[in-house]
Amino acid sequence: MGIQESSLPISGFAHKSEEELAGFLDFYRIEWLYEPVCFPLSWDEQGRVTESFTPDFYLPQFELYVELTTMKQSLVTKKNRKIRKMRELYPDFKIKILYERDYRKLLFKFGLLE
Amino acid sequence: MISSSSINSIPAVVEKIVFDENTIRKRVKELARQISHDYHRKNLMVVGILEGALMFTRDLVKKLSFPVSPGFIRISRYERQPHTGEVRIIKDLHRDICGKHVLLIEDIVDTGLTLNFLIQILAERKPASLAICTLLERAELRLVEIPIKYMGFHVKDEFLIGYGLDHRESYRELPFVATMKLKAAEGTTNR
Repeated sequence: MGIQESSLPISGFAHKSEEELAGFLDFYRIEWLYEPVCFPLSWDEQGRVTESFTPDFYLPQFELYVELTTMKQSLVTKKNRKIRKMRELYPDFKIKILYERDYRKLLFKFGLLE
Repeated sequence: MISSSSINSIPAVVEKIVFDENTIRKRVKELARQISHDYHRKNLMVVGILEGALMFTRDLVKKLSFPVSPGFIRISRYERQPHTGEVRIIKDLHRDICGKHVLLIEDIVDTGLTLNFLIQILAERKPASLAICTLLERAELRLVEIPIKYMGFHVKDEFLIGYGLDHRESYRELPFVATMKLKAAEGTTNR
C-alpha cells in the first residue's frame, strides 16, 4: 500500500535492501514514506546546517522512523553517532535501527536468504 | 529433562536446545492457569495462527480449566518471486467472533507485522476484547509494537526451530525449541 513515496520507481531507493524492506512493508499493508525528513544535527556560527541525518523510512501509523544499516562497521560507527545525536536533539521522535545482522535475520525469517 | 527418545531424534541442524519439553510444558501450564483465571465465566474464543502456533494452541487449550474449542487462521506468506501482492487471510475462522473475548495465539512475536495485520482485521469484526498470547517474544526485529498479554519466554537474537517454529516448513514437529546452525540453514535452497 504505502503513501506518496510508495509509488516511486524502484530506482528511487539508494540500496537494494531498502527496496526489499519496502516490499515487506507493502506486503503487510504498512504505510511508509522514504526519506521524508532530514534532521539537522549541527550548525555553524551563522546558523547554517553543517551536519544532518535522514532516516530511510517513516511509518506514519506508528510514528516511527526506521534506519536500515547494512554497510561496513566504520560507517556504522559514524551512523550510530549521528543517531545518538538525533535522539538527544529530538527525543520525541522514535527511531528503530536495523543492523546488518537484523536485516539478514529478517531475510532468513522470510526464507529469502540465498 | 529431554527424554531419550527425543535425544535420538534430534536433527543435525540443531545447535542447542533452548527450551526442552518439560520447560515448555510447565510454562504452558502456568499460562493456562493465568488465562483460566482471567477468562473465567467469559465467552472465550481461542484463535491459533497457523502453522507455527498449532502445537502451542492445542497444548494450551488442553490445560485450560474450562472447555474451549480452538479456531485457526492462516495468512499468506511473503514471497519474493512470484510477487504475492498484499498479505491476506487464506484460511479464515468458521465462527463469528462478534461479542466474544478473543485470545490470539502466536508462536513467536518478532517484527510484529503479522499480528499487526491480524489485530486490525479481527478488530473490525467487533469482538468484546482481543488479546495476544505468544509462546516466544524477540525484541530485536520489532518494527511494530504489539500489546502482548501473555508471554511464555523472551528469546535472544537467534534463529529458532521446533515446537511449531520452522525453517522452510521443516522441524515444526520437534517437541523442544532449539537454535539452528545458521550456516547449515543458509546453504539450503529457497522454498
